[in-house]
Amino acid sequence: MASESPPNLLELDRIEAGYGHAALVLRGLTITVPRSTIVCLVGPNGAGKSTVLKVASGMLHPRGGTVRLDGHDVTRHGPQQRLRAGLAHVLQGHSVFPEMTVGENVRLGAYTVPDRATVATRVQFVQHLFPVVSEQWDVLAGLLSGGQQKQVEFARSLMIDPKVVLLDEPSMGLDPKATATVFEQIERMRDTGTAVLLVEQNARRALQTADIGCVLDLGRVHMSGPAPELLDDPELSQLYLGGHVAG
Amino acid sequence: MPNDSDLADASAQGASRPWPIPRLLGTGTLGALAILVLSFPFLTDTGYLLSTGVFILNYALMATGWNFVGGFTGYISLGHAAYWGLGAYATAIMITRLDMPWYLALVTSAAAVAVIAVPVGIAALRVRGASFVIVTIAFVMILLLVFQSWAGVTGGSSGLMVPRAFDVLRTQHHQIFFYLYAAALALTLLVWWAIDRSRFGMGLKAIREDEDKARALGVPTYASKLVVFVLSAFFTGLAGGLYALWFGDLDPVFQFSILMGAYMVLMALLGGIRELFGPVLGALVVGVSVEYFKSEFGDTQFHLVATGLLLALVVLFMPEGLIPWLRGLFQRFGPRASSIREVSAGELAEQVEREHAVDEPGSRS
Repeated sequence: MASESPPNLLELDRIEAGYGHAALVLRGLTITVPRSTIVCLVGPNGAGKSTVLKVASGMLHPRGGTVRLDGHDVTRHGPQQRLRAGLAHVLQGHSVFPEMTVGENVRLGAYTVPDRATVATRVQFVQHLFPVVSEQWDVLAGLLSGGQQKQVEFARSLMIDPKVVLLDEPSMGLDPKATATVFEQIERMRDTGTAVLLVEQNARRALQTADIGCVLDLGRVHMSGPAPELLDDPELSQLYLGGHVAG
Repeated sequence: MPNDSDLADASAQGASRPWPIPRLLGTGTLGALAILVLSFPFLTDTGYLLSTGVFILNYALMATGWNFVGGFTGYISLGHAAYWGLGAYATAIMITRLDMPWYLALVTSAAAVAVIAVPVGIAALRVRGASFVIVTIAFVMILLLVFQSWAGVTGGSSGLMVPRAFDVLRTQHHQIFFYLYAAALALTLLVWWAIDRSRFGMGLKAIREDEDKARALGVPTYASKLVVFVLSAFFTGLAGGLYALWFGDLDPVFQFSILMGAYMVLMALLGGIRELFGPVLGALVVGVSVEYFKSEFGDTQFHLVATGLLLALVVLFMPEGLIPWLRGLFQRFGPRASSIREVSAGELAEQVEREHAVDEPGSRS
């Protein structure tokens, strides 16, 4: 998988970033996301996990460092340009349009795609990937459960056929069954060729799904490596995963 | 809301539609109503009823014009009388000062109103919510002062007379304008309907729900708002031009009144701003009520109190408007779709099975 080391799709190179005039949140952070890989960021609150995603999607411009998408320098590009270049960002919490139907929500994801035939193909693709999307196509998105809404958001982000999807806390507020479904869907996104950069509070569950884990602390990558190895690391388990490794 | 036909196959999977009446029945009702409206001038023989009909169509055209901004983007303009007044005065001035034929003056003035709306929209659409409302009110107040003071061109406070375009009897005059208004309304509804179904319209509705999220998905929010704002001004201006030709006497206080702008908002809200025919239904209710209250209470201001009461009732009991409220009533008596969260144990087992089966391609029904 990652050992073949294909060219990295998303590279954050020595990023320094912060908000306003306050102290830096990210201090020389470097993260790479290879093709068809799930990279998971874990770390304590305030480590800068969400800030990494904001820098990656262009919502926050870094004070130093370079962001590269598929080899191109996009550091100065805004969110819309990066969206067109194939980078989708699924925000924290619920970001569906509740008063619009599931279908409208999903099709909005392809707003920047002018070709109708392409859109129709993508609709079929995400309907196949997310059964709930095709089942509830005409239902107002606000009527769905939290887990279903999350899947609609995933489907919407896949409409542009993205190279990379950024997921910010996808399991937030979901019950265990819905969380399991959401993580299955994330694996399925990876299996269809999309790279995923995932930020998750539920670190243990996220590392079970991810290929590569990065532990963030104080705005730097404290430790990174294959996710299963991180899961087995006793120090990491004690510090960041809330106790001993089960079993 | 109708869905794009190219996705009809995807939506025909038995999910509960928001509008369960078969399309055929809807089309039939629409056709019958259209025939009824078009035959109205022959069903009545009093000039009073006919002129009321024309006035209601004017209301309907104004409110539908307003609904391009209000309905699609959720931006509430209280100063839309500005475009109605501008359309009316522009038409009148082009006829009286430039000797233009009426139809040319009508179209040119509506286009001129649209051009004026571009800088106004650029300025006003930078702000949202209450600030936007205030900017729109400010614009109509400025225009009122200008048109009252600039007597050399606008006739000032004494107003402007527009010569009659057709040399016919009074009743025939009403009949002609009834059909002119109906045609303009049909065109306006057609454009609204086309936008409602389009990708552009989907982006606008996303703006209505959450502008920042819409922008994050790549919707060019500012440009989209400006386009519908200008379209809205065009059709409202068209209503104004027709009014000048029909009524023949313009008074700045009436043309540029906050009250007329408030009526547009009231009519659209009353019928339902998300509905194609919402503003038309609202115009019918408001038009009939205003005429009734006027005839009942005479030339007092009491009809305003009664209209205000009507607005309060709508906001309290049918905040989504008449059409969604009626649809809700209809659905209550129709077959009830169970809540999508209600799943029996058997269905759940089936669902789990299906989720497992979905990995294999082609297993989806």
